[in-house]
Amino acid sequence: MHLVRDCLDKQVVDREGHNMGRVDGIVIEVGGGRKPDVAAIQVGSACQGDRLHPFFGKLVRSISKRCGVVNHDPYRIPWTKIVCAEIEVIAGVEAEKTPALAWELWLRKNIIARFPLA
Amino acid sequence: MKKLLEISLGIVTSVGGFLEIGSIATAAQAGADFGFQLIWAVLLGGLCLIFLVEQAGRLAAVSGHTLTGAIRERFGFNYFIILFLVLNLVTLLVLSAELGGVCVALELSTGIAFQWWAVPVAVLVWLLIWKGTFGFIEKGVSVLGLVTISFIVAAIMMKPNWHSVASGAIPTLPAHDKSHYWFIAVSVLGASISPYLFFFYSSGAIEDHWTEDYIGVNRVIASTGMSFGSLISVAVLILGALVFPPRGLHADHYSQLALLLQDALGHWGFILFVMSLGIACLGAALEITLQVAYFAAQGFGWNWSENQPPKKEARFSLTYTVVILLGALIVLTGIDPLKITIMSMALTAATLPLSVVPFLILMNDRNYLEEYTNGWIANGVVIAIILLAFVLAVVSIPLQIVGGG
Repeated sequence: MHLVRDCLDKQVVDREGHNMGRVDGIVIEVGGGRKPDVAAIQVGSACQGDRLHPFFGKLVRSISKRCGVVNHDPYRIPWTKIVCAEIEVIAGVEAEKTPALAWELWLRKNIIARFPLA
Repeated sequence: MKKLLEISLGIVTSVGGFLEIGSIATAAQAGADFGFQLIWAVLLGGLCLIFLVEQAGRLAAVSGHTLTGAIRERFGFNYFIILFLVLNLVTLLVLSAELGGVCVALELSTGIAFQWWAVPVAVLVWLLIWKGTFGFIEKGVSVLGLVTISFIVAAIMMKPNWHSVASGAIPTLPAHDKSHYWFIAVSVLGASISPYLFFFYSSGAIEDHWTEDYIGVNRVIASTGMSFGSLISVAVLILGALVFPPRGLHADHYSQLALLLQDALGHWGFILFVMSLGIACLGAALEITLQVAYFAAQGFGWNWSENQPPKKEARFSLTYTVVILLGALIVLTGIDPLKITIMSMALTAATLPLSVVPFLILMNDRNYLEEYTNGWIANGVVIAIILLAFVLAVVSIPLQIVGGG
Protein backbone atom coordinates (compact mmCIF):
# COMPACT_ATOMS: atom_id res chain seq x y z
CA MET A 1 0.00 0.00 0.00
CA HIS A 2 1.13 3.54 -0.80
CA LEU A 3 0.24 5.37 2.42
CA VAL A 4 -0.06 8.87 0.97
CA ARG A 5 -1.89 7.85 -2.19
CA ASP A 6 -4.16 5.17 -0.71
CA CYS A 7 -4.83 6.48 2.79
CA LEU A 8 -3.96 10.14 3.51
CA ASP A 9 -6.87 12.57 2.96
CA LYS A 10 -9.38 9.79 2.35
CA GLN A 11 -12.85 9.91 3.88
CA VAL A 12 -13.02 8.06 7.22
CA VAL A 13 -16.25 6.26 8.07
CA ASP A 14 -17.12 4.29 11.19
CA ARG A 15 -18.29 0.68 11.24
CA GLU A 16 -21.87 1.85 10.49
CA GLY A 17 -20.73 3.91 7.48
CA HIS A 18 -21.14 7.31 9.19
CA ASN A 19 -18.67 10.01 8.14
CA MET A 20 -16.21 10.92 10.88
CA GLY A 21 -13.67 13.10 9.07
CA ARG A 22 -10.78 12.57 6.72
CA VAL A 23 -7.39 11.00 7.29
CA ASP A 24 -5.68 14.23 8.31
CA GLY A 25 -2.47 12.59 9.50
CA ILE A 26 -0.67 9.26 9.73
CA VAL A 27 1.35 8.36 12.83
CA ILE A 28 4.50 6.36 12.18
CA GLU A 29 6.56 4.90 15.02
CA VAL A 30 10.31 4.73 14.60
CA GLY A 31 13.14 3.64 16.88
CA GLY A 32 14.12 0.65 18.94
CA GLY A 33 16.08 -0.73 16.01
CA ARG A 34 12.82 -1.76 14.34
CA LYS A 35 11.51 -0.81 10.92
CA PRO A 36 9.17 2.23 10.89
CA ASP A 37 5.69 1.06 11.74
CA VAL A 38 2.32 2.68 11.04
CA ALA A 39 0.71 3.16 14.46
CA ALA A 40 -2.47 5.16 13.81
CA ILE A 41 -4.31 7.65 11.66
CA GLN A 42 -5.21 11.13 12.94
CA VAL A 43 -8.54 12.86 12.45
CA GLY A 44 -9.46 16.38 13.51
CA SER A 45 -9.24 20.09 12.94
CA ALA A 46 -6.05 20.54 15.01
CA CYS A 47 -4.23 18.14 12.73
CA GLN A 48 -5.56 20.03 9.70
CA GLY A 49 -4.29 23.27 11.25
CA ASP A 50 -0.86 21.70 11.86
CA ARG A 51 -0.66 20.72 8.20
CA LEU A 52 -1.10 24.35 7.17
CA HIS A 53 1.24 25.79 9.83
CA PRO A 54 1.81 25.00 13.53
CA PHE A 55 0.27 28.43 14.32
CA PHE A 56 -3.10 27.29 12.97
CA GLY A 57 -2.86 24.01 14.87
CA LYS A 58 -2.29 25.92 18.13
CA LEU A 59 -5.12 28.31 17.28
CA VAL A 60 -7.56 25.44 16.72
CA ARG A 61 -6.51 23.75 19.99
CA SER A 62 -6.97 26.96 21.93
CA ILE A 63 -10.45 27.60 20.44
CA SER A 64 -11.47 24.02 21.17
CA LYS A 65 -10.26 24.34 24.75
CA ARG A 66 -12.07 27.63 25.32
CA CYS A 67 -15.33 26.19 24.01
CA GLY A 68 -14.81 23.08 26.12
CA VAL A 69 -15.32 21.01 23.02
CA VAL A 70 -12.60 18.41 22.96
CA ASN A 71 -9.44 17.36 24.71
CA HIS A 72 -8.29 14.69 22.27
CA ASP A 73 -7.78 16.70 19.12
CA PRO A 74 -6.36 15.25 16.92
CA TYR A 75 -8.05 11.97 17.63
CA ARG A 76 -5.88 8.93 16.92
CA ILE A 77 -7.42 5.72 15.62
CA PRO A 78 -5.08 2.72 16.01
CA TRP A 79 -3.97 1.23 12.69
CA THR A 80 -5.19 -2.18 13.84
CA LYS A 81 -8.77 -0.85 13.64
CA ILE A 82 -8.35 0.53 10.11
CA VAL A 83 -9.31 -1.00 6.78
CA CYS A 84 -8.40 0.99 3.65
CA ALA A 85 -11.21 0.34 1.16
CA GLU A 86 -11.48 1.67 -2.39
CA ILE A 87 -13.37 4.89 -1.70
CA GLU A 88 -13.03 5.33 2.05
CA VAL A 89 -11.10 4.29 5.12
CA ILE A 90 -13.21 2.21 7.48
CA ALA A 91 -12.51 2.56 11.21
CA GLY A 92 -13.74 -0.17 13.52
CA VAL A 93 -15.24 2.29 16.02
CA GLU A 94 -18.56 4.02 16.70
CA ALA A 95 -18.15 7.62 15.50
CA GLU A 96 -20.44 9.35 18.01
CA LYS A 97 -18.58 7.79 20.93
CA THR A 98 -15.22 9.14 19.75
CA PRO A 99 -13.74 12.65 19.99
CA ALA A 100 -13.79 12.81 16.17
CA LEU A 101 -17.37 14.08 16.31
CA ALA A 102 -16.91 16.33 19.35
CA TRP A 103 -17.47 19.55 17.37
CA GLU A 104 -20.44 18.04 15.53
CA LEU A 105 -22.11 17.07 18.82
CA TRP A 106 -21.25 20.40 20.48
CA LEU A 107 -22.78 22.39 17.60
CA ARG A 108 -25.80 20.09 17.52
CA LYS A 109 -26.47 20.59 21.22
CA ASN A 110 -25.54 24.25 21.66
CA ILE A 111 -26.55 25.84 18.36
CA ILE A 112 -28.61 23.78 15.91
CA ALA A 113 -30.99 22.44 18.57
CA ARG A 114 -31.81 26.04 19.53
CA PHE A 115 -32.81 27.08 16.01
CA PRO A 116 -36.49 27.60 15.32
CA LEU A 117 -37.97 24.51 13.61
CA ALA A 118 -35.07 22.39 14.90
CA MET B 1 -38.44 3.44 -18.88
CA LYS B 2 -37.06 4.61 -15.53
CA LYS B 3 -33.93 5.95 -17.24
CA LEU B 4 -36.04 7.75 -19.87
CA LEU B 5 -37.93 9.45 -17.08
CA GLU B 6 -34.66 10.38 -15.37
CA ILE B 7 -33.26 11.78 -18.62
CA SER B 8 -36.43 13.85 -19.18
CA LEU B 9 -36.37 15.14 -15.61
CA GLY B 10 -32.65 15.84 -15.85
CA ILE B 11 -33.08 17.84 -19.06
CA VAL B 12 -36.01 19.78 -17.60
CA THR B 13 -33.89 20.48 -14.51
CA SER B 14 -30.93 21.65 -16.60
CA VAL B 15 -33.05 23.89 -18.83
CA GLY B 16 -35.21 25.31 -16.03
CA GLY B 17 -32.21 25.83 -13.78
CA PHE B 18 -29.86 27.25 -16.41
CA LEU B 19 -30.70 30.92 -16.29
CA GLU B 20 -29.74 33.05 -13.28
CA ILE B 21 -28.90 36.68 -12.64
CA GLY B 22 -25.39 36.24 -14.06
CA SER B 23 -26.44 34.84 -17.41
CA ILE B 24 -29.37 37.29 -17.72
CA ALA B 25 -27.32 40.38 -16.82
CA THR B 26 -24.19 39.57 -18.84
CA ALA B 27 -26.11 38.47 -21.94
CA ALA B 28 -28.40 41.53 -21.76
CA GLN B 29 -25.43 43.88 -21.39
CA ALA B 30 -23.55 42.12 -24.19
CA GLY B 31 -26.55 42.61 -26.47
CA ALA B 32 -27.13 46.21 -25.39
CA ASP B 33 -23.51 47.31 -25.98
CA PHE B 34 -22.37 45.14 -28.88
CA GLY B 35 -25.49 43.85 -30.66
CA PHE B 36 -25.19 40.22 -31.70
CA GLN B 37 -21.38 40.41 -31.76
CA LEU B 38 -20.88 38.46 -28.49
CA ILE B 39 -23.12 35.48 -29.25
CA TRP B 40 -19.91 33.49 -29.74
CA ALA B 41 -19.03 34.01 -26.05
CA VAL B 42 -22.38 32.60 -24.90
CA LEU B 43 -22.00 29.59 -27.21
CA LEU B 44 -18.37 29.01 -26.16
CA GLY B 45 -19.34 29.18 -22.48
CA GLY B 46 -22.22 26.75 -23.09
CA LEU B 47 -19.92 24.33 -24.94
CA CYS B 48 -17.39 24.38 -22.12
CA LEU B 49 -20.11 23.88 -19.53
CA ILE B 50 -21.43 20.82 -21.40
CA PHE B 51 -17.97 19.24 -21.25
CA LEU B 52 -17.36 20.16 -17.59
CA VAL B 53 -20.77 19.06 -16.34
CA GLU B 54 -20.55 15.77 -18.24
CA GLN B 55 -17.12 15.16 -16.70
CA ALA B 56 -18.29 16.00 -13.17
CA GLY B 57 -21.17 13.52 -13.55
CA ARG B 58 -18.88 10.85 -15.02
CA LEU B 59 -16.36 11.25 -12.19
CA ALA B 60 -19.09 10.80 -9.57
CA ALA B 61 -20.79 7.90 -11.36
CA VAL B 62 -17.59 5.90 -11.95
CA SER B 63 -15.53 6.68 -8.84
CA GLY B 64 -18.23 7.31 -6.23
CA HIS B 65 -16.41 10.55 -5.34
CA THR B 66 -17.73 14.06 -5.48
CA LEU B 67 -15.41 16.48 -7.23
CA THR B 68 -14.56 18.20 -3.93
CA GLY B 69 -13.80 14.90 -2.20
CA ALA B 70 -11.58 13.75 -5.06
CA ILE B 71 -9.67 17.06 -5.10
CA ARG B 72 -9.00 16.83 -1.34
CA GLU B 73 -7.88 13.23 -1.71
CA ARG B 74 -5.69 13.68 -4.77
CA PHE B 75 -4.19 17.13 -4.07
CA GLY B 76 -4.08 17.16 -0.26
CA PHE B 77 -5.37 19.43 2.47
CA ASN B 78 -3.30 22.53 1.67
CA TYR B 79 -4.49 22.78 -1.93
CA PHE B 80 -8.03 22.08 -0.81
CA ILE B 81 -7.98 24.93 1.69
CA ILE B 82 -6.70 27.44 -0.92
CA LEU B 83 -9.45 26.35 -3.31
CA PHE B 84 -11.98 26.44 -0.48
CA LEU B 85 -11.14 30.06 0.39
CA VAL B 86 -10.82 31.48 -3.12
CA LEU B 87 -13.76 29.65 -4.65
CA ASN B 88 -16.10 30.32 -1.77
CA LEU B 89 -15.22 34.02 -1.60
CA VAL B 90 -16.16 34.41 -5.25
CA THR B 91 -19.18 32.12 -4.81
CA LEU B 92 -20.35 34.26 -1.89
CA LEU B 93 -20.38 37.27 -4.21
CA VAL B 94 -22.33 35.24 -6.77
CA LEU B 95 -24.77 34.19 -4.03
CA SER B 96 -25.37 37.79 -2.99
CA ALA B 97 -25.99 38.61 -6.67
CA GLU B 98 -28.59 35.82 -6.86
CA LEU B 99 -30.27 36.86 -3.60
CA GLY B 100 -30.18 40.40 -4.98
CA GLY B 101 -31.85 39.11 -8.14
CA VAL B 102 -34.79 37.69 -6.14
CA CYS B 103 -35.00 40.98 -4.23
CA VAL B 104 -34.98 42.99 -7.48
CA ALA B 105 -37.82 40.82 -8.84
CA LEU B 106 -39.77 41.63 -5.67
CA GLU B 107 -38.93 45.33 -5.97
CA LEU B 108 -40.13 45.38 -9.58
CA SER B 109 -43.43 43.77 -8.59
CA THR B 110 -44.08 45.71 -5.36
CA GLY B 111 -42.15 48.99 -5.66
CA ILE B 112 -40.44 48.37 -2.29
CA ALA B 113 -36.65 48.88 -2.54
CA PHE B 114 -34.71 45.64 -3.00
CA GLN B 115 -32.66 45.98 0.22
CA TRP B 116 -35.85 45.59 2.29
CA TRP B 117 -36.37 42.17 0.78
CA ALA B 118 -32.92 40.86 1.75
CA VAL B 119 -33.99 39.41 5.10
CA PRO B 120 -37.31 37.84 3.98
CA VAL B 121 -35.61 36.30 0.92
CA ALA B 122 -32.73 34.98 3.07
CA VAL B 123 -35.25 33.43 5.48
CA LEU B 124 -37.13 31.85 2.57
CA VAL B 125 -33.93 30.34 1.13
CA TRP B 126 -32.91 29.06 4.56
CA LEU B 127 -36.36 27.56 5.20
CA LEU B 128 -36.43 25.79 1.83
CA ILE B 129 -33.03 24.22 2.50
CA TRP B 130 -33.74 23.48 6.17
CA LYS B 131 -37.02 21.73 5.42
CA GLY B 132 -36.59 20.61 1.80
CA THR B 133 -35.00 17.53 0.28
CA PHE B 134 -32.43 17.43 -2.50
CA GLY B 135 -35.04 16.31 -5.05
CA PHE B 136 -37.34 19.19 -4.09
CA ILE B 137 -34.58 21.77 -4.47
CA GLU B 138 -33.04 20.30 -7.60
CA LYS B 139 -36.21 19.50 -9.52
CA GLY B 140 -39.03 21.50 -7.93
CA VAL B 141 -37.57 24.96 -8.43
CA SER B 142 -36.09 24.06 -11.81
CA VAL B 143 -39.47 22.95 -13.16
CA LEU B 144 -40.84 26.36 -12.18
CA GLY B 145 -37.79 27.83 -13.93
CA LEU B 146 -39.16 26.62 -17.27
CA VAL B 147 -40.93 30.01 -17.32
CA THR B 148 -37.56 31.33 -18.61
CA ILE B 149 -38.39 29.75 -21.98
CA SER B 150 -40.47 32.92 -22.46
CA PHE B 151 -37.15 34.61 -23.46
CA ILE B 152 -36.92 32.29 -26.48
CA VAL B 153 -40.55 32.94 -27.39
CA ALA B 154 -40.02 36.70 -27.13
CA ALA B 155 -36.79 36.60 -29.17
CA ILE B 156 -38.57 34.75 -32.00
CA MET B 157 -41.53 37.18 -31.84
CA MET B 158 -39.14 40.13 -32.21
CA LYS B 159 -38.17 38.79 -35.66
CA PRO B 160 -34.42 39.53 -35.48
CA ASN B 161 -32.26 39.44 -38.61
CA TRP B 162 -31.25 35.78 -38.32
CA HIS B 163 -28.34 36.28 -40.70
CA SER B 164 -26.85 38.87 -38.30
CA VAL B 165 -27.60 36.58 -35.35
CA ALA B 166 -25.74 33.71 -37.04
CA SER B 167 -22.75 35.92 -37.86
CA GLY B 168 -22.49 36.77 -34.14
CA ALA B 169 -21.49 33.14 -33.55
CA ILE B 170 -18.12 33.88 -35.15
CA PRO B 171 -15.77 35.95 -32.95
CA THR B 172 -14.96 39.38 -34.38
CA LEU B 173 -13.10 42.39 -33.00
CA PRO B 174 -15.20 45.34 -31.86
CA ALA B 175 -15.05 48.70 -33.59
CA HIS B 176 -15.19 50.58 -30.26
CA ASP B 177 -14.65 50.08 -26.49
CA LYS B 178 -12.26 47.16 -26.87
CA SER B 179 -11.57 46.74 -23.13
CA HIS B 180 -15.28 46.84 -22.32
CA TYR B 181 -15.94 44.29 -25.07
CA TRP B 182 -13.43 41.82 -23.66
CA PHE B 183 -14.59 42.47 -20.10
CA ILE B 184 -18.18 41.63 -21.09
CA ALA B 185 -16.94 38.58 -23.03
CA VAL B 186 -15.13 37.39 -19.87
CA SER B 187 -18.22 38.05 -17.73
CA VAL B 188 -20.37 36.05 -20.16
CA LEU B 189 -17.88 33.16 -19.99
CA GLY B 190 -17.73 33.44 -16.19
CA ALA B 191 -21.53 33.34 -15.98
CA SER B 192 -21.65 30.21 -18.13
CA ILE B 193 -18.77 28.31 -16.51
CA SER B 194 -19.40 29.04 -12.81
CA PRO B 195 -17.56 26.31 -10.86
CA TYR B 196 -20.47 25.93 -8.46
CA LEU B 197 -22.45 24.44 -11.36
CA PHE B 198 -20.20 21.45 -11.96
CA PHE B 199 -19.27 20.99 -8.29
CA PHE B 200 -23.00 20.96 -7.47
CA TYR B 201 -23.70 18.56 -10.33
CA SER B 202 -21.20 16.02 -8.95
CA SER B 203 -22.71 16.33 -5.45
CA GLY B 204 -26.14 15.77 -7.01
CA ALA B 205 -24.93 12.64 -8.76
CA ILE B 206 -23.85 11.20 -5.39
CA GLU B 207 -27.11 12.35 -3.70
CA ASP B 208 -29.01 10.54 -6.51
CA HIS B 209 -26.81 7.41 -6.10
CA TRP B 210 -25.45 7.37 -9.66
CA THR B 211 -23.33 4.41 -10.71
CA GLU B 212 -21.50 3.47 -13.90
CA ASP B 213 -24.90 2.61 -15.41
CA TYR B 214 -25.65 6.34 -15.50
CA ILE B 215 -22.81 7.35 -17.83
CA GLY B 216 -25.17 7.44 -20.82
CA VAL B 217 -27.90 9.25 -18.88
CA ASN B 218 -25.33 11.78 -17.71
CA ARG B 219 -24.09 12.41 -21.25
CA VAL B 220 -27.58 13.05 -22.62
CA ILE B 221 -28.60 15.30 -19.72
CA ALA B 222 -25.38 17.35 -19.89
CA SER B 223 -25.38 17.84 -23.65
CA THR B 224 -29.10 18.34 -24.28
CA GLY B 225 -29.95 20.25 -21.10
CA MET B 226 -27.02 22.65 -21.28
CA SER B 227 -27.50 23.21 -25.04
CA PHE B 228 -31.13 24.26 -24.54
CA GLY B 229 -30.07 26.33 -21.55
CA SER B 230 -27.47 28.16 -23.66
CA LEU B 231 -30.17 28.90 -26.23
CA ILE B 232 -32.11 30.78 -23.54
CA SER B 233 -29.00 32.89 -22.84
CA VAL B 234 -28.63 33.57 -26.58
CA ALA B 235 -32.30 34.65 -26.61
CA VAL B 236 -31.60 37.11 -23.76
CA LEU B 237 -28.66 38.53 -25.74
CA ILE B 238 -30.81 38.89 -28.87
CA LEU B 239 -33.50 40.69 -26.85
CA GLY B 240 -30.84 42.94 -25.27
CA ALA B 241 -29.57 43.85 -28.75
CA LEU B 242 -33.07 44.67 -30.02
CA VAL B 243 -34.58 46.37 -26.96
CA PHE B 244 -31.86 48.60 -25.45
CA PRO B 245 -29.98 50.39 -28.30
CA PRO B 246 -33.11 52.08 -29.77
CA ARG B 247 -33.80 53.55 -26.31
CA GLY B 248 -30.17 54.60 -25.80
CA LEU B 249 -29.88 52.27 -22.78
CA HIS B 250 -26.91 50.08 -21.81
CA ALA B 251 -28.62 47.60 -19.46
CA ASP B 252 -26.47 49.02 -16.69
CA HIS B 253 -29.24 49.24 -14.10
CA TYR B 254 -31.38 46.32 -13.02
CA SER B 255 -34.64 48.23 -13.50
CA GLN B 256 -33.86 48.38 -17.23
CA LEU B 257 -33.75 44.58 -17.50
CA ALA B 258 -37.53 44.46 -17.08
CA LEU B 259 -37.82 45.89 -20.60
CA LEU B 260 -36.37 42.70 -22.12
CA LEU B 261 -39.72 40.96 -22.66
CA GLN B 262 -42.03 43.96 -22.84
CA ASP B 263 -41.62 44.87 -26.53
CA ALA B 264 -42.60 41.36 -27.59
CA LEU B 265 -45.12 40.41 -24.91
CA GLY B 266 -46.46 43.70 -23.55
CA HIS B 267 -47.64 43.75 -19.93
CA TRP B 268 -47.39 39.95 -19.79
CA GLY B 269 -43.75 40.42 -20.73
CA PHE B 270 -43.19 42.38 -17.56
CA ILE B 271 -44.95 39.74 -15.45
CA LEU B 272 -43.05 36.90 -17.12
CA PHE B 273 -39.75 38.74 -16.65
CA VAL B 274 -40.36 39.26 -12.94
CA MET B 275 -41.35 35.59 -12.54
CA SER B 276 -38.35 34.42 -14.56
CA LEU B 277 -35.90 36.58 -12.63
CA GLY B 278 -37.35 35.66 -9.23
CA ILE B 279 -37.57 31.92 -9.82
CA ALA B 280 -34.27 31.61 -11.69
CA CYS B 281 -32.37 33.53 -9.01
CA LEU B 282 -34.10 31.66 -6.18
CA GLY B 283 -33.12 28.33 -7.75
CA ALA B 284 -29.53 29.49 -8.22
CA ALA B 285 -29.36 30.88 -4.65
CA LEU B 286 -30.51 27.51 -3.27
CA GLU B 287 -27.95 25.61 -5.32
CA ILE B 288 -25.07 27.97 -4.51
CA THR B 289 -25.84 27.95 -0.79
CA LEU B 290 -25.96 24.16 -0.75
CA GLN B 291 -22.79 23.94 -2.83
CA VAL B 292 -20.77 25.99 -0.32
CA ALA B 293 -21.96 23.69 2.47
CA TYR B 294 -21.28 20.60 0.33
CA PHE B 295 -17.79 21.93 -0.41
CA ALA B 296 -16.97 22.34 3.27
CA ALA B 297 -18.54 19.05 4.36
CA GLN B 298 -17.02 16.94 1.59
CA GLY B 299 -13.58 18.51 1.95
CA PHE B 300 -13.45 18.18 5.74
CA GLY B 301 -15.18 14.80 5.80
CA TRP B 302 -18.32 15.82 7.74
CA ASN B 303 -21.75 14.28 7.47
CA TRP B 304 -23.59 15.80 4.53
CA SER B 305 -26.78 15.22 2.63
CA GLU B 306 -29.66 17.53 1.95
CA ASN B 307 -31.93 14.54 2.56
CA GLN B 308 -31.01 14.22 6.26
CA PRO B 309 -32.53 16.24 9.11
CA PRO B 310 -30.36 19.29 10.00
CA LYS B 311 -29.69 17.94 13.51
CA LYS B 312 -27.97 14.89 12.04
CA GLU B 313 -25.41 17.11 10.32
CA ALA B 314 -24.90 20.16 12.49
CA ARG B 315 -21.74 21.45 10.81
CA PHE B 316 -23.28 21.17 7.33
CA SER B 317 -26.49 22.95 8.46
CA LEU B 318 -24.60 25.68 10.29
CA THR B 319 -22.41 26.31 7.23
CA TYR B 320 -25.34 27.00 4.91
CA THR B 321 -27.02 29.10 7.59
CA VAL B 322 -23.93 31.33 7.92
CA VAL B 323 -23.49 31.49 4.14
CA ILE B 324 -27.06 32.74 3.63
CA LEU B 325 -26.56 35.30 6.39
CA LEU B 326 -23.36 36.64 4.76
CA GLY B 327 -24.99 36.75 1.32
CA ALA B 328 -27.96 38.69 2.73
CA LEU B 329 -25.63 41.14 4.51
CA ILE B 330 -24.04 42.08 1.18
CA VAL B 331 -27.51 42.70 -0.32
CA LEU B 332 -28.42 44.82 2.72
CA THR B 333 -25.56 47.21 1.95
CA GLY B 334 -27.61 48.36 -1.03
CA ILE B 335 -24.85 47.87 -3.64
CA ASP B 336 -26.47 47.51 -7.07
CA PRO B 337 -26.91 43.73 -7.57
CA LEU B 338 -26.16 44.18 -11.27
CA LYS B 339 -22.70 45.61 -10.53
CA ILE B 340 -21.96 42.76 -8.10
CA THR B 341 -23.14 40.31 -10.75
CA ILE B 342 -20.96 41.59 -13.59
CA MET B 343 -17.86 41.85 -11.37
CA SER B 344 -18.38 38.44 -9.73
CA MET B 345 -18.77 36.78 -13.14
CA ALA B 346 -15.44 38.26 -14.31
CA LEU B 347 -13.77 37.14 -11.05
CA THR B 348 -15.23 33.68 -11.59
CA ALA B 349 -13.49 33.51 -14.97
CA ALA B 350 -10.20 34.67 -13.42
CA THR B 351 -10.29 31.92 -10.78
CA LEU B 352 -11.37 29.13 -13.15
CA PRO B 353 -7.93 27.51 -13.62
CA LEU B 354 -7.69 26.93 -9.86
CA SER B 355 -10.63 24.53 -9.95
CA VAL B 356 -10.53 23.27 -13.51
CA VAL B 357 -6.85 22.28 -13.73
CA PRO B 358 -7.05 19.74 -10.84
CA PHE B 359 -10.40 18.62 -12.24
CA LEU B 360 -8.78 17.81 -15.59
CA ILE B 361 -5.93 15.95 -13.88
CA LEU B 362 -8.51 13.85 -12.03
CA MET B 363 -10.40 13.18 -15.27
CA ASN B 364 -7.24 11.63 -16.69
CA ASP B 365 -6.46 9.51 -13.61
CA ARG B 366 -7.25 5.83 -14.08
CA ASN B 367 -7.35 5.31 -10.31
CA TYR B 368 -10.62 7.25 -10.35
CA LEU B 369 -12.01 6.85 -13.88
CA GLU B 370 -10.73 3.39 -14.86
CA GLU B 371 -11.42 3.07 -18.59
CA TYR B 372 -13.63 6.17 -18.60
CA THR B 373 -10.85 8.78 -18.55
CA ASN B 374 -11.07 11.84 -20.83
CA GLY B 375 -10.25 11.69 -24.50
CA TRP B 376 -8.11 14.34 -26.18
CA ILE B 377 -11.14 16.27 -27.49
CA ALA B 378 -12.64 16.72 -24.00
CA ASN B 379 -9.26 17.79 -22.59
CA GLY B 380 -8.45 20.06 -25.52
CA VAL B 381 -11.78 21.92 -25.54
CA VAL B 382 -11.78 22.57 -21.81
CA ILE B 383 -8.10 23.62 -21.62
CA ALA B 384 -8.49 25.99 -24.57
CA ILE B 385 -11.60 27.71 -23.22
CA ILE B 386 -10.32 27.99 -19.67
CA LEU B 387 -7.00 29.47 -20.82
CA LEU B 388 -8.88 31.92 -23.00
CA ALA B 389 -11.16 32.96 -20.13
CA PHE B 390 -8.21 33.29 -17.74
CA VAL B 391 -6.07 35.37 -20.09
CA LEU B 392 -9.00 37.62 -20.99
CA ALA B 393 -9.88 38.04 -17.32
CA VAL B 394 -6.33 38.92 -16.28
CA VAL B 395 -6.12 41.48 -19.08
CA SER B 396 -9.60 42.94 -19.05
CA ILE B 397 -10.44 43.24 -15.34
CA PRO B 398 -7.68 45.84 -14.69
CA LEU B 399 -8.58 47.59 -17.94
CA GLN B 400 -12.22 47.72 -16.90
CA ILE B 401 -11.37 49.07 -13.45
CA VAL B 402 -8.93 51.67 -14.79
CA GLY B 403 -11.06 52.60 -17.79
CA GLY B 404 -14.33 52.45 -15.90
CA GLY B 405 -15.96 50.58 -18.80
